[in-house]
Amino acid sequence: MSNMTTDMASSRPKMKQHMGLKASRTIGNTLIYILLITISIIWLIPFVFIVLQSFRVESTHQVGYIVPQVWGLRNYTELFNSNFPKWYVNTFITALCTCILQTIIVLCMSYTLSRFRFKMRKPLMKVMLILGLFPGMLSMIILYRVLKDLGLTQANAVPGLILVYVASSGMGYYVSKGFFDTIPKSLDEAARIDGATRAQVLYKIILPLSKPIVIYTLLTAFMGPWGDYVFARYISNNTAAGMNVAVGLYGWLSQDQINKKYTMFCAGGVLVAVPVTVLFMCLQRYYVEGVTGGAVKG
Amino acid sequence: MASVKLTNIKKIYDNNVTAVHDFNLEIADKEFVVFVGPSGCGKSTTLRMIAGLEDISDGTLEIDGQVVNDLQPKDRDIAMVFQNYALYPHMTVYNNIAFSLRLKKVPEDEIYERVTNAAQILGITEYLTRKPRALSGGQRQRVAIGRAMVRNAKVFLMDEPLSNLDAKLRNQMRAEIILLRQKLDTTFIYVTHDQTEAMTLGDRIVIMKDGYIEQVGTPQEVFDTPVNLFVAGFIGSPQMNFLKAKLVQEGTGYSVEILGAKIPLNEDQVSALSRKNIKSQEIILGVRPEHTTVLFEKAEGAIECTIDVNEMMGSELHLHLSSANDDKIIVRLPTVDLTKEQRSSLAYGNRMYITFPAKVMHLFDPETERSLING
Repeated sequence: MSNMTTDMASSRPKMKQHMGLKASRTIGNTLIYILLITISIIWLIPFVFIVLQSFRVESTHQVGYIVPQVWGLRNYTELFNSNFPKWYVNTFITALCTCILQTIIVLCMSYTLSRFRFKMRKPLMKVMLILGLFPGMLSMIILYRVLKDLGLTQANAVPGLILVYVASSGMGYYVSKGFFDTIPKSLDEAARIDGATRAQVLYKIILPLSKPIVIYTLLTAFMGPWGDYVFARYISNNTAAGMNVAVGLYGWLSQDQINKKYTMFCAGGVLVAVPVTVLFMCLQRYYVEGVTGGAVKG
Repeated sequence: MASVKLTNIKKIYDNNVTAVHDFNLEIADKEFVVFVGPSGCGKSTTLRMIAGLEDISDGTLEIDGQVVNDLQPKDRDIAMVFQNYALYPHMTVYNNIAFSLRLKKVPEDEIYERVTNAAQILGITEYLTRKPRALSGGQRQRVAIGRAMVRNAKVFLMDEPLSNLDAKLRNQMRAEIILLRQKLDTTFIYVTHDQTEAMTLGDRIVIMKDGYIEQVGTPQEVFDTPVNLFVAGFIGSPQMNFLKAKLVQEGTGYSVEILGAKIPLNEDQVSALSRKNIKSQEIILGVRPEHTTVLFEKAEGAIECTIDVNEMMGSELHLHLSSANDDKIIVRLPTVDLTKEQRSSLAYGNRMYITFPAKVMHLFDPETERSLING
């Protein structure tokens, strides 16, 4: 009996300690959630603002309030009577071609550097690492001259831009090489003994196992050209037929156009964001796995 | 089914490290050969050169009479089972086994027949729709074997296939590989560092060390007549005891003197030593633990030892003893015939006496480490 009393007495402080831990964890979590929600709201305000402005039809210039007084789709319908569809198609073609070509090049490069052992492999990797540290802007002028000589500027800016984006894509091998390095080499060897060629090993064994990194590569390759302004502006050189959405829409913010096209600019911004947002939301699980898988295990 | 011939095979890596030196071996059709040796001895490298996964630096490799040095792995008609199974994680067991057949564009009906047949032999039919991650280690190993089986390859290579399994499963799979070998009736080359696997599986064993072949022979040959200290120590568990002793030539006979005991050699040993014109000299005497007799009382010709450790193994005891020369000796002592008093006397620090007949003694030259009789 006395033992039981002692046990109960000793268990009380433990229960208190347990309750205390639980309470402090709840308070901590609540604070973290409040902080995260606040940051999310601050982060979302510009997006919400743009979406609301895109539905404002009572005026086209900038105003001092957020919620539209008259709602409508006029800004969106007017977009289709402007150069916007052309810019949208230009951007989509550039992004899609870059996305496909860059992904193929990056994955082949990464597989080669991960699996093949050849002379100058390490120096090559180092050179590419160092070259990658230089900002792309440094090469802008010479690239423009080369593209101009090839007739790939202004109205023909789309193939020119694809060439520029894809040309250096092999240098972005780090993350996917890191991921491939984590796949046991014995799988390649087993497949080769089973009768597979090197190419078959890549697309029948390695790529299906690297879904996160393939999707990560596809997404980054798509999003780069989709939102690019600097190169696109420079190579299209004020020719509407060669502009992408970023360059075209920015033009609407010039002093002579902003009052007439501000709400259309917002509607254009929303349409630009939609495909990337949908794509990203569907594939973000793989994207995170790709980044962490390549970075941690590489 | 095919023979394999390795002639002066060498493997030199880019950093000039030689992993395999002048490897010469002929493996007959349907033979089961085991490469065994400690880590880094070159056994896996040799197997990988046969598979085509490593380039051959020098020498000639022939499979079924055809030189295959420059052939890709897929063109050598070999099948291989890897230590870590190397199953394709994104494919079901069925697709794993069918992979090589699909690459060869074998008709689906035939693939189905061959895969289900292999699965039946290996007892994995119910797992055909599962992915490898949903299988246990033993089941995965069976799938890996199945994948190799369906190819009907000329040569079956196995690189430490049982190393990742626990002891019980390893024993079970070892027995299954023996059965499989009888069913497949093809040429097997098996790599292991486990001498028990080598002894139980191989028709012949190739014992390797530092890239060199130390001895090639049947399990019985390498156990009974090891050619050097390394082979003698490597084959057998617990390993052979090595004692400092003296070989004495007396007229036409020879005897071994050890710690006051004098053991005359038998006729075969004497004739082998005479043939080689061996004189009296210091030697290393090798005696296997199972060939040593333990005495509880002092007797003539017996060597006195002190008990260091007494390991109870169930049906037998492993006694670790020290001689007056401080040689460490292990003795296997069956427990079935021991009286209660004898068992209680086998305690740390107590004295014991050991003897062994001449026929179980192995004599080694301390300098060359080669056997004076078999070397």
